[in-house]
Amino acid sequence: MTRKNKKRLRAWLLFTLAIIIVMMELFPIYIVVSNGFKRDLDIRTSNPFSFKFSMRSYQQVFEKSDFIPSISNSLIVGLSSTAISLIFGSMAAYGIARFKFKGRKGLSYSFLVSRMVPQIALSVPIFILFDRLGLTDTHISLILAYTSFNLPYIIWLLLPFFASVSPSFEEAALVDGCNKKQVFWRIFLPLTAPGLVVAAIFAFIMAWNEYIYALVLTGNTTKTAPIAVNGFMGQYAPKWGQLAASGTIILIPVIIFTLALQRYIIKGLTAGGVKE
Amino acid sequence: MNSIHSKRSLRPRKRGRPFLYFIIPAALTVGVILVFPIIYGFGLSFFNWPQVDDGTRAFIGFKNYLDLFQDSLFWRSLMLQLGFIFIAIPIQLVIGFFVAILFNNDFPASGLLRTLLLLPVFVLPVLSGLTWKLMLQPRYGVITYLLSQIGLEFPQGILSDKSLAYAAVIIQDIWRMWPFMFMILYAGISGISKDLIEAAEIDGASFYQKTFKIILPLLRGTIATAILLRTIDALRIFSEVFVMTKGGPGSDGTMLFSLYIHKQAFQFGKLGYASSMAVVLIVITLLFAFGLVRKNMDIDTA
Repeated sequence: MTRKNKKRLRAWLLFTLAIIIVMMELFPIYIVVSNGFKRDLDIRTSNPFSFKFSMRSYQQVFEKSDFIPSISNSLIVGLSSTAISLIFGSMAAYGIARFKFKGRKGLSYSFLVSRMVPQIALSVPIFILFDRLGLTDTHISLILAYTSFNLPYIIWLLLPFFASVSPSFEEAALVDGCNKKQVFWRIFLPLTAPGLVVAAIFAFIMAWNEYIYALVLTGNTTKTAPIAVNGFMGQYAPKWGQLAASGTIILIPVIIFTLALQRYIIKGLTAGGVKE
Repeated sequence: MNSIHSKRSLRPRKRGRPFLYFIIPAALTVGVILVFPIIYGFGLSFFNWPQVDDGTRAFIGFKNYLDLFQDSLFWRSLMLQLGFIFIAIPIQLVIGFFVAILFNNDFPASGLLRTLLLLPVFVLPVLSGLTWKLMLQPRYGVITYLLSQIGLEFPQGILSDKSLAYAAVIIQDIWRMWPFMFMILYAGISGISKDLIEAAEIDGASFYQKTFKIILPLLRGTIATAILLRTIDALRIFSEVFVMTKGGPGSDGTMLFSLYIHKQAFQFGKLGYASSMAVVLIVITLLFAFGLVRKNMDIDTA
């Protein structure tokens, strides 16, 4: 065998191995998607590999359940908290990246560390505080709760984007008579647009996936999609088909964003946690 | 002295503190919805605070903390939590490392496959827990079914046995999060100069030597970071396990730390007692967080 052929063979062997790993890793996701096209009854009475295609579960999810309102709740809460976090977060990231001031390090580290506080530990005081303000089961309570982790996250995700803009842009603008606020809104935001998009998407996904605050703070009127999906477990018999169908639906944006953001995933997963 | 002064005066004198305009909205928001609740929760941990006010709400000093030491379920949940971390993370690290080595080679579609591997990391924790619950159902769950094909029968169901349920919860996390390790280690490995590895190959280094004598030592820093990130994350695990087992079977089968906090707070209504546990969890988390910050953080290179 020539050297070139040998190299080729090796590449295809590695490819096969990688495919096997990917298939095993994605198997549970396949289970969710495929069970969405089965009926509840068929899932519970037959062998897991038998497949009788049916749209019945999707039909039931759309017609008879509180799933659609829960999607709209998730969208309202997710988009609002993302918007607030993005505006305040980009301002703060700019402030930290482009100004020298006393307490700058302390401030940015407290943003970073506060984000790592487990949500379950915060759920108790937040529950009591919102309860006293009469805010439980409102969108506002969830928007604020989600902003509490999204805002510090966005600050740290955006820091490198703001730090990497060349000072010459700033100087030119200042010479032209812009003040610092104008520099931020007119020069920096457009220049860091890719970073802003990435930050917005990651923040939205984190809100979309959140469960603890939703569990503690929502009631019937504001329950979010993950709560509704878990609702298909029911009191007595789980409705697996509908659970899988609704699970597939809420998985769609997650899959699209993961594939679209390939390049930025490491940054997004480790914002502030990894030196680059 | 003189030179310092003249340097100062060279900088255009700004009126007021312009950075405040940018910092204040975020600082205020984080202060109100994050820092204040943490302080409030800390205060709460010194109170008897039943969820429904029955007139017994009162300051009780350190009693919650003293009770915590007497609470065998507290210790058990702490042990389960530590066990979870000490079992899941090393396995994720090993799988992630070898798959990262594999993907450090050139082969078709490697970029796409790499991204596909990351999907589970982003799958909603609730959905992940529920999917594993489905796969582990007696009779019709796909894992139970496959195990029965090789002669392993679990007529009562895997999730109703304490040790098996604990194992299942850990395996669920390994499945979800090894790709996270993989991604970070892969980034670290691809940062190692190709020349270095090629030079070793020319010198006749075996796969074993390349992997363990060259790549692994160079990855030490990356691995430490990955472990810290994963540990902080694993300390907060809740949703997946909550929907999978609710902390059962029994009263404590998979009662990880955060599940026990939730149970004390929202099932037993003991908000003060739960807060003392939350304080313990926050302290443990911050220890790791400061470790991470000290090791890695520099805002100017972030």
